Formats: sequence, structure tokens, C-alpha cells
Amino acid sequence: MPGKSFLHRLDPRTKIIGLMAVSFCILKVSSFEIMLLISIIFSILVIACHLPTIHFARSVRPMLPFFIFIFLMQLLFTEGSPLFEFGLLTGTYEGFLLGSILALRFIFLILFAALITATTSPAGITAGVERLLRPLPIRYVGISSHDLAMMMSLSLYFVPMLFDSFRDLRDAQISRGLDIKKEPVKAIMSLTVPLVRMSLRSVNEVALAMESRCYTGEGRSSMYLLEFRLSDYALLVLYCMLLFLLCI
Amino acid sequence: MIKIENLSYHYPDGSSALDSITLNIRKGEFVAIAGKNGCGKSTLLRHINGLLQPSEGSVIIKGMDTSDNSKLQEIRRTAAMVFQDPQSQFIGMTVEDDIAFGPENLGFSTSEIKKRVSNALGSVGMSAYRYNTPRTLSGGQKQKVALASVLAMEPEIILFDEVTSMLDSGSRMDILSLVRQLHEAGTTIIYVTHLLEELVHADRLMLMENGRMICNGDPREIISKISSGRFGFDAPPIIELSKRLVDAGILEPSFLPLSKDELREAICQLK
Repeated sequence: MPGKSFLHRLDPRTKIIGLMAVSFCILKVSSFEIMLLISIIFSILVIACHLPTIHFARSVRPMLPFFIFIFLMQLLFTEGSPLFEFGLLTGTYEGFLLGSILALRFIFLILFAALITATTSPAGITAGVERLLRPLPIRYVGISSHDLAMMMSLSLYFVPMLFDSFRDLRDAQISRGLDIKKEPVKAIMSLTVPLVRMSLRSVNEVALAMESRCYTGEGRSSMYLLEFRLSDYALLVLYCMLLFLLCI
Repeated sequence: MIKIENLSYHYPDGSSALDSITLNIRKGEFVAIAGKNGCGKSTLLRHINGLLQPSEGSVIIKGMDTSDNSKLQEIRRTAAMVFQDPQSQFIGMTVEDDIAFGPENLGFSTSEIKKRVSNALGSVGMSAYRYNTPRTLSGGQKQKVALASVLAMEPEIILFDEVTSMLDSGSRMDILSLVRQLHEAGTTIIYVTHLLEELVHADRLMLMENGRMICNGDPREIISKISSGRFGFDAPPIIELSKRLVDAGILEPSFLPLSKDELREAICQLK
């Protein structure tokens, strides 16, 4: 999402490292007070970046059944003081706390990742990942940082394309008499086989187009000038302090 | 500029796609290639772009042999290709990112890449769509972006592989007008098509059948001689009408009108 906020202007590398630091922090803490603090920081960042809350609701929604499942499992199968009884099942106070913390951890991980993708272009993220991977000795196993970053970028591009292909294919099969509800096994076969075939063909065509446009995986430059400013350095110091405080 | 000598290409199963093609294309020329599906047009373009290498013979682009792997990047930069389906050649999440892909591969500086992206978008009239997702564009707009992504590499030769076959009439005219502008600016054009009305703008027309070149010459002369439908395309109504007027002795046989304007002028000159 285009914008000129503080977060938009940060170097993508600072944001990627920040996401890793925040993720570590979220996975490490287990108190509601710190979770509340994290939610306040998140809300301030969203308001400061003028981002619509619907974007974040959309990122969490597909995973909501999973979070509810995790919460219920912890609530009903953790030993402790009973909170309520429902037939053979007993919800415990300890289970409620553990389930809430666990579900909140996953929700915040997704929300912070959505915050980064909303304030950084996919190409910016790719360029940032590529620069962060560059010092790693991955070239000794025959992979360049450009290749890895390009794979990530293409995956991001292919997911919606694959979804479009699936929708077209499903409509085409339904129009030819396929009843997905009555014959689920047949439906799976008649959708997955052509989808895999279409995907392989698309991959071949994209590879050809990339080759045609001089892609070799080496010696690439980027349209995005990655440059650490004072604010980036200040944030990196802050991340280090945060991680140090969490580790002691 | 392009020198093809005895080019033959066989698929791994042994079937022949191209058979002894010899062709020379001068700098700034507009060459149209036509023929039925599967006659080898796209295979020929892929050889010029260095995507395929000859089984026999040679393809030389500005003195560089496409069989020399060390020259492939320079060859692809010199002779860039626009594919039939624009959707299949998008790599970037936004129009801007996609157009920048070629210059990024060539290692240009950030400022140079941005300049080239702006120029390419301006050339095809798509500057307003710079930050759009390519998937959300119309067919004609997608093909313009595909053309811009090639223009950003500033090639001397552009290969068009049936670029208008998936477009409506209006978008086709837009793309054709851009192709003509590029030709007028001095770019060498090699244009593969099924549509006869698109061939009339070419300096030279080459007809292919079963991997062989069977005709190579002035488009007007060739179109006036061939029977409609033989080479995988039907004559548009204007050319069909012109032919009938010539056959009926109303128009002079020396000049076959191939467009609406030419036919109007020819009719106005009748006494």
C-alpha cells in the first residue's frame, strides 16, 4: 500500500530484521502485560502509517479456525482449576490463559508480517532479502542470493495466479457437469491434474520469458536503492537492546 | 544485422521444425513472417532471440553467433522478444517492477533503471498504470506493458510473436501503431502474424510452410498472387474487394490496394 509514513520510508532490511526480532519477542513472552504492550505498539504503528484495519482483519481471517482450534485444545485439555463444565469436557483457568497466549502469539506474528507487507513493495522485500542473504556462503552449494530472492518473488507472484487458474478450471469443470459436493474424489482428480499441468506449463513459459530478458541469476542490480539512514541504525540498536533484555 | 544460413532445427524426437532457412535482414527493416500454425514461425524467432540453438546452420546477430553461449546475453539485449501471451511473461508484482526486470538483469544503476522504466512506460502510453498489478490490466494494456518491458532494454531488433492474436480490434490497432512508430524510429522489426492486414506495413513478407521458407519478397506483390487461405490466413474484406475489382478490370492490376485509404484513393482516381 503506497504511503510516506515513517515505516514506509525505512529500509526493507531494517523491517525484515525488525520482523524477526519482534517474532522472537512474541514467541518468548508469556505474560498478558507484555502482550498488551505489543498490541499498543502495533496499534500506534498502524495509526501512524494510515493503514486500513480491514487489511489486517483480512490477513488474520483465513487462519481464524486454526487459532480457535488451538485455543479450545488448550482450554479443554490443560489440567488446573475448573472454569466451566460442558458434558464430559472441563475448561480450566490455566487452559484459558495458555490458549489465549498461544492464539495471541500466532495472531501477532501474522499482524506484524502484514504490517511489513503493507508498507514495503514486494520488490523491496525481495531486494532486502537478497541483500541480507548475500554475505551467507550459499554460493558454495550452487545457489546465489539472487536466485533465492527471485524464487521468493516468483512464489508471491504465482499464488494469486494459481488461484485464478483454479477458479477458471473449477468453473469450466462445473459447466461440464462436475458436481463437487456429490463426487468429491472425482472433483479433486479433475481439478488437481489439469492444475498441475497448467502450473508446469506456466513455469516453463515464465522461465523462457526470464531467459529472453537476460536473466542469468548473477550480476543483477535493483531498481530499489537500499540505504541505511539514521532512523534505520537507531532501530537496529533498539532491536539489539530488546533482544538483550529478553535474553537476560 | 541478422544473417541466417541453412538453419535447421530438429526436436529431440527427431521431427523437423525448421528446414534449411537462409535469410538476411538489414538494419531498420520491417520483416513480416506468416504461415499456418506449427509452420515454424515462433521457432525461428526463438532462434534469433537465442532461446534455441540450431541443429544445423548458423544464426548471426550483429556479428554474434547464437551458438556461442558467452554472447547470449548481448544477443538477447540486441534482439528482444515480445511473446504471444503477455500474462505468461510477467515477472514483477507491479507494472514498474516488471519493466525494471530486464534492465536489472543487465546490471544498470538504480537511476538508469528508473529512467528507462519511465521512458518505456511513456513510449507505450502506460505511465498512469505504473503501480498497478499486471494481472488487473486489460489484454491490450498487458501487451503494451510486455512491449514496454522489452523497450526498457533498448534493443535494436524487436521480435513480435503473434502479439495481437489475443486482442480485440481496438487494442490491435494500438499495438500496430506502436510497432510502426518503433520502425519509423529506426528499430528493426520482425513481426509474426496470421492477419493479412498487419502484413501490409512490412517492407518484406516471408511465408513459411512446414518449416521451410517458400516466399520472401514485397508484401503487395505476394499478397496479390497468393490464394486466400493457403498460408493459414484469410484475406480481409478490403483486400478481397480490391482483388475482385482488379479481376473485374475496374482497378489497375499494377497496384493492389491493401488498406481502406489506398482503396478509397484508387476509387477516387477512377474516371
